[in-house]
Amino acid sequence: MKASSSPWLFRLGFIAPAFVLYVGFVIWPLIQAFQISFYRWRGTSNRVTWVGTENYEKLRTDPVLSEALGNNLFMMFVGGVLIVILALLVAHALQKSTRVSQFLESIYLFPQVVSMVVVALLWQFMFNPQFGPVPLLQKALGLGEFQSGWLATPNVALPAVTVAFAWYAVGFYVMLFSAGLRQIPTEITEASELDGSTGWHRFTNVTWPLLWSVKRTGVTYLVITVMNTFALVYLMTKGQPDRKTEVALTYLYEQAFTNSDWGYASALAVVNLFFVMAVTLLVMWIFRRDPTERRARA
Amino acid sequence: MGLSPKGGLWLGGVCALALASWTMIGCGGPAGTTAEPETGGTTSAPVGTEVKGDIEVQAFKGGFGIDFYQKAADEFNKKHTGAKVTVDGDPRVWEKLKPRLVAGDPPALMFPGWGMDHWSLITDGALMELDAALDSPAEGADGTWRSTFEPGLLKLGQQEGKTYVLPYYFNINGWWYDKTVFDANGWTAPKNYDELLALCEKIKAKGIAPITYQGKYPYYMVHGMLLPWAHSVGGPEVIRKIQNLEPGAWKDPAMLKSAQMIVELRDKGFFATGATALTHTESQSDLVVGKAAMIPCGTWLYSEMKEQLKPTNKLTMFLPPPVAGGKGDPSAMIVSIEPWMVPSKSPNASGAIAFFKYMTSPEKAREFVAEKGSLMAIKGSAEAVKIEALKEPARLFGESKDVWSWQVRDWYKAMHTEIENALTAMLNGELTAEQFLDRCEAAAEATRKDSAIVKHKV
Repeated sequence: MKASSSPWLFRLGFIAPAFVLYVGFVIWPLIQAFQISFYRWRGTSNRVTWVGTENYEKLRTDPVLSEALGNNLFMMFVGGVLIVILALLVAHALQKSTRVSQFLESIYLFPQVVSMVVVALLWQFMFNPQFGPVPLLQKALGLGEFQSGWLATPNVALPAVTVAFAWYAVGFYVMLFSAGLRQIPTEITEASELDGSTGWHRFTNVTWPLLWSVKRTGVTYLVITVMNTFALVYLMTKGQPDRKTEVALTYLYEQAFTNSDWGYASALAVVNLFFVMAVTLLVMWIFRRDPTERRARA
Repeated sequence: MGLSPKGGLWLGGVCALALASWTMIGCGGPAGTTAEPETGGTTSAPVGTEVKGDIEVQAFKGGFGIDFYQKAADEFNKKHTGAKVTVDGDPRVWEKLKPRLVAGDPPALMFPGWGMDHWSLITDGALMELDAALDSPAEGADGTWRSTFEPGLLKLGQQEGKTYVLPYYFNINGWWYDKTVFDANGWTAPKNYDELLALCEKIKAKGIAPITYQGKYPYYMVHGMLLPWAHSVGGPEVIRKIQNLEPGAWKDPAMLKSAQMIVELRDKGFFATGATALTHTESQSDLVVGKAAMIPCGTWLYSEMKEQLKPTNKLTMFLPPPVAGGKGDPSAMIVSIEPWMVPSKSPNASGAIAFFKYMTSPEKAREFVAEKGSLMAIKGSAEAVKIEALKEPARLFGESKDVWSWQVRDWYKAMHTEIENALTAMLNGELTAEQFLDRCEAAAEATRKDSAIVKHKV
């Protein structure tokens, strides 16, 4: 094929395989999910009943959905703050590019590489009420113990799952912030040093604003990761105790695979998608302008 | 808000990632969704006289494996030269079967396991009615095929008087303990609730947790304590009303007494610390190693734990200790069946019936009991039990005057999840017995009012 004679055909040849796969495995199931959300379907035969917007109306008054989204938001904000603080501290500490820092960076990334199933099992072990290191440490420090264990005690289970999530995610943000910090031109840091800016002052006035693009990417990715959290929660607590750790996708799974209510599960998936998009747009709006550009103009 | 071209592209990427949750649902949807009547008609299965062609069987590959069924298939194929039974299985066979059922391409016979909602299949008209086949002659026994089954177990596969699923092996719910530990301490299995309280005091004094439970799966507590005690106090009528979603059924004094008994055990510290967080294997291991003295569980406990058992372990079972003076029969027991079924679009229903008749013939049933150590739904098969741990459950079943089943867990899953969640909250000390029952009654009312949920009657 001559590229010069039919460039569009040449380009199409490259795009087509990915496009066909994308349409077949993303767009088409998506259209189907949207379609199913207007039906009652038990998922065991092709019998379906048109129910119009009934599934969406049910969503509006579903207290479990509100609780689940609240738990997602808890993980997003509390987990997010924890991750950002830890990742920034570690990224700062690893700024000098030595073999040790490179090794440590890869160590921090380790949880991202292992399967989420392994992460969940590991943290189940950590919180095990009988032999888990966390309850043992708690007892050794004279802090008492939770009668039902960390993962079955209301008001403790969700923070415990959030800690596991933060442990899993922090390595990625260490890498992200490390890259961001390395991109800050040395002239700027040297100039600020000459101006007498050091420590916390330099961090808040120089480093933090210059991490704008990294922060935008990081927060957006965090929103998506938290809203799509499923395996970690499902394996660690199954949403227990009494839905205290229920998140949107574990609830969706329950509707589809336990209650055989695929119409409602599809409506939940649609709402989850729009919720993620809304929060993402909000994040993009918050980070709409590079503050350093604004300063430059000023 | 204005988006730059770069921003738009970025948003596109974000959307693609967020779609992941959506596609979790969309894959495998019903092809060509056209509205049809919500409940399906029924097809009656043939009696199984025509035995030829391929007979595909898909079976749940659980603790008992599928080797017994495969061996039975080989024997059957030798007997019927024109037929070829093939048995295939998977620990999550229902996931393979669902798309095949939706596509109208099911196997001839199936045992889809616990992940399949067979009541939905019945509602959708996806299963054959088996009464004509049950009234035909049995294999290897005199009389009808129906007469070879335990009648109380056959009833569990019926809807509106018609049989759609057939029991194969079944489970009894009771409380397990290690006889070696009990004998060493001079303890005896409690015959009633008061004896249980006295025994728990003695066990606790020895530094052992009197009772542990599978807290991550609260239905063990529903089957092992809440329901049998309500049945013991108020008789079968209490359970019947609840299963039939009658208003106020959860507020029955027998239910309140049962919930209060659980609270009493909780408040007296008779439950193992942290049991709410334990899985079935973790809590059952505690029984095996002697950290806990008793655990409510079905007869499957033995096959689940046999790899961990020491030669000194002598696990055995007693029924949940009844309440002295209660209306319920003290020998009453909750059972659950492992159902087999013939899809209405079975490509070889006659062959499927013939093969299942062979599998449930008294001789094969006794072989299964002896080989696998499970109780079978075929009359007289319990005599073949060889495993020591299952002899007592078999004896209890033989002597029971009231065999019943808790169907709410299969019929009304959302309601059952709420019952389990409320029970966990009560065990955690967040709810009183009355508050627990309020939540259960509210869940029953929501189910009653939801026209989308197909209702059943006991």
